[in-house]
Amino acid sequence: MGDDILSYNGGVALAMKGKECIAIACDKRYGVQNRTIATNFTKIFQYSDHCFVSFCGLATDVQTVSERLKFRTNLYELREQRKLKPNVLYNMLTNLLYERRFGPYFVFALVVGLDPKTGETFIYDSDNIGAVSDNVNLATVGTASEYIFGLGELFFKPNMNADELFEATSQALLNGVDRDSASGWGAVVYVIEKDKITVRELKGRQD
Amino acid sequence: MALANVLGFKSNNEFDRSLQCQKTDNNIDEFCPTLNIENIAQFITLPPYADPAKYLKMVNEKVDRVKIQFLKGTTTLAFKFRNGVIVAVDSRATAGGFIASGEVKKVIEINPYLLGTMAGGAADCAFWERVLARHCRIYELRNKEKISVAAASKILANMIFEYRGMGLSMGTMIVGWDKRGPGLYMVSDDGERISDNIFSVGSGSIYAYSILDAGYKYEMSTVDAIDLARRAIVHAAHRDAASGNIVRIYHMKETGWEKIEEKDTNDYMYQYRDEKTMNF
Repeated sequence: MGDDILSYNGGVALAMKGKECIAIACDKRYGVQNRTIATNFTKIFQYSDHCFVSFCGLATDVQTVSERLKFRTNLYELREQRKLKPNVLYNMLTNLLYERRFGPYFVFALVVGLDPKTGETFIYDSDNIGAVSDNVNLATVGTASEYIFGLGELFFKPNMNADELFEATSQALLNGVDRDSASGWGAVVYVIEKDKITVRELKGRQD
Repeated sequence: MALANVLGFKSNNEFDRSLQCQKTDNNIDEFCPTLNIENIAQFITLPPYADPAKYLKMVNEKVDRVKIQFLKGTTTLAFKFRNGVIVAVDSRATAGGFIASGEVKKVIEINPYLLGTMAGGAADCAFWERVLARHCRIYELRNKEKISVAAASKILANMIFEYRGMGLSMGTMIVGWDKRGPGLYMVSDDGERISDNIFSVGSGSIYAYSILDAGYKYEMSTVDAIDLARRAIVHAAHRDAASGNIVRIYHMKETGWEKIEEKDTNDYMYQYRDEKTMNF
C-alpha cells in the first residue's frame, strides 16, 4: 500500500442512476494497511429521506466529515423547517471541504439523491477539497475506483429499473474490489426509489 | 543442459550454442565464456560501477526518498510432523494495492523430493531455486545419492550471501525428506538459514502462526495436519489484505512430495463460518 494516505484504510463506493431510482453501494472493510480489523464499516450515511452521501478515504475523516455534515444539515432543517434537497446537500458538503483547503480532510465524497415528487435523480462526486462535478450517471470513489469504473461503464444502461440497477451496481462493485487488496470483505447496496429505499447486504469474497 | 556440461558433451546444434553450454567452435566462443555456476555473476548484469552493494543499498533503504520496497505480501507456511512435512501457501500477488494475480504458484517444485516456497521477489525465488535444482541434480549424479535438505538449503543460503545488501528479496522455506527424516529450513535474503519444526513467512504469517501454534502437535495425523495448514492459510487470507485467492497444500513424504489440493480460500471461509469456527 505504500505511504499513500488515501489508501491507508482502503474502501470504495459506487453510485449509478436508473429510471427514477438510484443505487449507491460501498464495501465494508475497515483495515490499517494490510491488516483487516473489521468487516462491518459501511461508508454510506443518510441525510434526508432520499439523500445519501458516501465518504471514502482515511477512516477518521470519514467519521468526522460525516458527523460535521450531519451537524450542519440538522441546523438547516431546524432553521428552514424543511428537508434537504440533494443539490443543497452537495453545496454544503463542498463548502465544508473547501473551508479546509490548506489542511484538507482526506476523503472523497459521493452525493446521491432523488426528488420524490418528480423522480429526478442526482449523483454528484467531489474530491477532498470540494471540486464540484456535474450530475453524472455513474460515479465511484475509493482505492478500487478505477476497477469499478470500468465494470460500471460496462454494465450501465440508461433508464434501468430498480432490479436491473441493483444487479449492475452489485456486480460492478463485487468484481471490482476483487482486484484491490484494500477493499471488499462484503458490501452493502442502497436502492432508492420514489416510495421506498431497499438496503441489501452482499456476500463477497472475504479475503 | 546440466548433464551435457558435466560430461563435456559437444554438440553441433544451434540450441546448445545459443545457450553457451559448451564450446562448439573455438573461434566463435572466444568472447563468450561458458556459463557455469562459478561465473554466473558475469551473466547477471550488475550496475557498471566499482562497489554495487554500496549504491544498491540506497534503493533498499530510505535514503533521499528513493526506495523500492519489496513487501513480502503473502502467506506461506510449513511444519514438520510425525508423517513428514506439510507445506501450504496462498496465491495472491499484490503490487501496491493492486492485486496483480490471484493464481501465483508459490511452491516451487525443485525436484521430486525437494520443495521451495516463494515469498518476497518472485523472480528472485524462482531463479535461484532453479539454480539450486541444477546443483542438486549435479550432486546426485556425481555422488549417486540424493542431496540432503541441509546441504541443499546451505547451497542456496551461500549463493544468496554473495548478493547480500544488493536488494534480493527472498523468504523461502526448503522442504524435503532425506536419510535423517523430514527436513525444513528457512532461508532468507539476509543470509539467514535456520531449521525448526514450524515456519511461516510473509505479511500474513502473524495470523498463520496463531492458528499453527494453537493446534500443532508433532503426533498429529496427516488429515489433521492438512486441516491445520488449510485453516492457517484461510485465516491469514481473511485478515491479511495481501494474501488470499487460492490455497495450495503439499505433503512431503518419504517417497517424495504429493500435491494435496488447490482450492479457493473464500469457499473455505464460508464453510468455516457455517461451522462456527470463524466469525465475520
